[in-house]
Amino acid sequence: MPGKDPFTGKLKWYKSEGAVAVYSALISILIGMAVGAVIVIIVGMAKANISTKGIWEGIRLVFLGVFSTGRDSAGNLTFGFNGVNIGNMLFRATPLIMTGLAVAVAFKTGLFNIGAAGQYLMGTMGTLSVGLWLGNSGCPKGIAWLCAFLTGVLLGALWGSIPGIFKAFLNINEVITCIMTNWIAANLVTWWFDAHDVFKNSAEGGKVGYIIPLKNVGVVTPKLLMDKLFAGSQANGGFWIAILIAVAMYIMMTKTTFGYELRACGANRHAAKYAGINDKRNIILSMAIAGALAAAGASLYYLSGNTEFYWSTYQKLPAEGFNGIPVALLAANHPIGVIFSGVFMSMLNISGIQLKYLTAYNEYIADIIIAVIVYLSAFSMLFKTVLSKRIKHDTGNVNAEPVPADDDSPPESLDELVSEVAEAVEIAETVAKKGGEE
Amino acid sequence: MSEYIIEMNHIRKEFPGIVANDDITLQLRKGEIHALLGENGAGKSTLMSVLFGLYQPEAGEIKKDGQVVKINNPNDATALGIGMVHQHFKLIDVFTVLDNIILGAETTGALGFLKKKEAREKVLALSEKYGLKVDVDAKVEDITVGMQQRVEILKMLYRDNEILIFDEPTAVLTPQEIDELMAIMKGFAKEGKSILFITHKLNEIMAVSDRVTVLRKGKYIGTVNTKDTNKQELSNMMVGRPVQLELDKKDATPGEVVLKVEGLTVPSKIHKNNAVNDVSFEVRAGEILCIAGIDGNGQTELIYGLTGLEKATAGTITLCGKDISKASIRERALSGMSHIPEDRHKHGLVLSYTLEQNMVLQKYKEPRFQNHGFIKFGEVRQYAEKLIKDYDVRSGQGPVTVARAMSGGNQQKAIIARELDREEPLLVAVQPTRGLDVGAIEHIHNQIVAERDKGHAVLLVSLELEEVMGLSDRILVIYEGEIVGEVDPKQTTPEELGLYMSGAKRQGKGVE
Repeated sequence: MPGKDPFTGKLKWYKSEGAVAVYSALISILIGMAVGAVIVIIVGMAKANISTKGIWEGIRLVFLGVFSTGRDSAGNLTFGFNGVNIGNMLFRATPLIMTGLAVAVAFKTGLFNIGAAGQYLMGTMGTLSVGLWLGNSGCPKGIAWLCAFLTGVLLGALWGSIPGIFKAFLNINEVITCIMTNWIAANLVTWWFDAHDVFKNSAEGGKVGYIIPLKNVGVVTPKLLMDKLFAGSQANGGFWIAILIAVAMYIMMTKTTFGYELRACGANRHAAKYAGINDKRNIILSMAIAGALAAAGASLYYLSGNTEFYWSTYQKLPAEGFNGIPVALLAANHPIGVIFSGVFMSMLNISGIQLKYLTAYNEYIADIIIAVIVYLSAFSMLFKTVLSKRIKHDTGNVNAEPVPADDDSPPESLDELVSEVAEAVEIAETVAKKGGEE
Repeated sequence: MSEYIIEMNHIRKEFPGIVANDDITLQLRKGEIHALLGENGAGKSTLMSVLFGLYQPEAGEIKKDGQVVKINNPNDATALGIGMVHQHFKLIDVFTVLDNIILGAETTGALGFLKKKEAREKVLALSEKYGLKVDVDAKVEDITVGMQQRVEILKMLYRDNEILIFDEPTAVLTPQEIDELMAIMKGFAKEGKSILFITHKLNEIMAVSDRVTVLRKGKYIGTVNTKDTNKQELSNMMVGRPVQLELDKKDATPGEVVLKVEGLTVPSKIHKNNAVNDVSFEVRAGEILCIAGIDGNGQTELIYGLTGLEKATAGTITLCGKDISKASIRERALSGMSHIPEDRHKHGLVLSYTLEQNMVLQKYKEPRFQNHGFIKFGEVRQYAEKLIKDYDVRSGQGPVTVARAMSGGNQQKAIIARELDREEPLLVAVQPTRGLDVGAIEHIHNQIVAERDKGHAVLLVSLELEEVMGLSDRILVIYEGEIVGEVDPKQTTPEELGLYMSGAKRQGKGVE
């Protein structure tokens, strides 16, 4: 992001590293949307019940779904400001921003947090349990809200710290432990709610598979103007809280000694150690913070009040956890960028819903676009490298060692790039697979 | 027949933003040893890459025996009889010596089977003829660095190369091995082979070469006959200003003991034995103690154990009267130890951080640079600018230059600035001049001596014999993780040091 990062170089803002990250993210998004449009065309031509007009409608909805206002009396699509859509977009963006932050912050410390799903589930469990318990106990609703939120965050932090501890002391790859803790969390949460009938929604018919929504006990995030801005939508103050947390993360990572330590550990663990930074402590803390962030996403989602949690989740991990990865990748792990990429991802989701309601397409087109962008966001690092090289050539980098035989850094970084891309593609595949199972 | 076997005339090679070779002429006579001298970045490697066909020059021509030739790739170079021993050997560790030598030039029978017997005979004959002792059936991973170099030389001879390029060949050798190599090179020249010898070590040039071509910052400075010149003149040509070769340093006045190490033992990560075994020594205020030895004899692990980067399994370390054997890295640093690390990219710098961020790598937690955990960016900037000015650290964008974009010499200067400015009673300097050029080395040596004269204790680890002899007040030689001797640099000779370094000689145990 072009911002006033105190450590940015003297390049013009549109050539800064942040700007390049934005360009490469935009390239991924554009290609993803274009592929989506192509799929809309192919599906439209293959299905007899979709006319040429229908195809054109589909394409418009893919790009502008969030501004769709339905159909006019003549049956044509209409577009304009749609408070419900935009409000719902922001509402759905909230957990994505938080899990995106959970991935981004860990990544800055050199850790790949693929455990956001498990951390998210732990947050769900903590928030719902404490929220329902305190909500029924007659404790002031404000305090109940705070306790529910903090319990979720704390459980997430603990859950996140487990892979951190394994990484720090036994050097076990956090990706493996994260995958394991994800499924442990899924089973743990299922067991917990299975054992506690008080939390199950037995009052409403056919809802016993769900946990009682928090609005029933009045433990709900205040709307904080969201109901005025986007009347009729699910939007609430949780989105503002997510933005505040993102800004806080940005400040923590760039302005504080703690962030300095975390980033040093991520960029060069050996040098951090040499400087006397406790790398083990920082790895654990980083994962704990990541876990807290993912869990906060779950807390804010369920504290909105009317969301319902299907508790028998032992075979299924929440998609929000994995979608945090493309959110973070698209934002190049910048905490402020995560706000935008999170909103964008949720916008695609809204487009999918509009497609489903207004055309003969189903909402899975949106999932395909997301999947393509996930793939491409892995390549956004490649775009970034190519773009940065271009820009460097333009400005004539006189400092770089001119004699290639003496300079081993380019192949080194290329290796890094290749391995990072390979890793990211692998993750993208996992995500795509997970998406397909649901 | 031309006077020159190879001529590179008016070569010009540009890279974006820089001219690496600007009108350079190099003429190699048949049967001579021709040294190519220049600092890092002077354009030596680029020039050799042009000769080897790795780069195409923008201007200029290459002649072989007076005929203009076009070298488009290394195969063309090989066909013209040009061979090169690279600074970093290009050998396959798990292959035998023989397999490595014939690799790429295998002779095969009708069905594509290797004719190893003939190859073996040819290699043995060459090895005999030139005194290049190798064990043809040993795997490369099991032989010494010196023998690996002989394998590289045999590779060139096996291909019947007439023009042999040696790129910094002595960097990895002991003094005895260097002498052997020099003799071998002279033998080649007598045979009529022509040798290009790339180096920055003046002693070796004086000892072995016939003529010297000097490059500086991509430009041709001149070619001189070795017998008509001297070290001082050569180094002035190389650096472009008068360089002080001999360190001007007063005798040490050792004070109280600053660092006392007793029975330090550090396990090895590679093999089962200890990398550092029961090592004891003291460093006093106002003296430079040097740990000399061939690379890989436990120096790295000794320093890791001392600075806390790795855990020692036994022994005590006392710094300024305080037992720091169990202390954390930061506690050790705060107890009075600054450390110029061996590997500036691994330990010394966070390459993706800016120069100013690197300048406060240990200091960011001091109240001066932070307020309740928030970094005071103004203070950091001011401090970095002061260090940059005081220690003449050059970079494209000053304090906000990303460390990765700086030249190696300036990266090292930045680390040295940071460590010396901490003004700790003990300075641990590990290969502080590695990969630097004469001008920078002179500067850093003077700074280390100044540090000593301020009354600080200096523990120096160096692989460069000249540095060991010139800089230190006392020398301890380490061999296979043990201190095998203590010598006085004023009384010892490089040869004696070499004997200790290769394990051929050792003083009785319990050396202090």
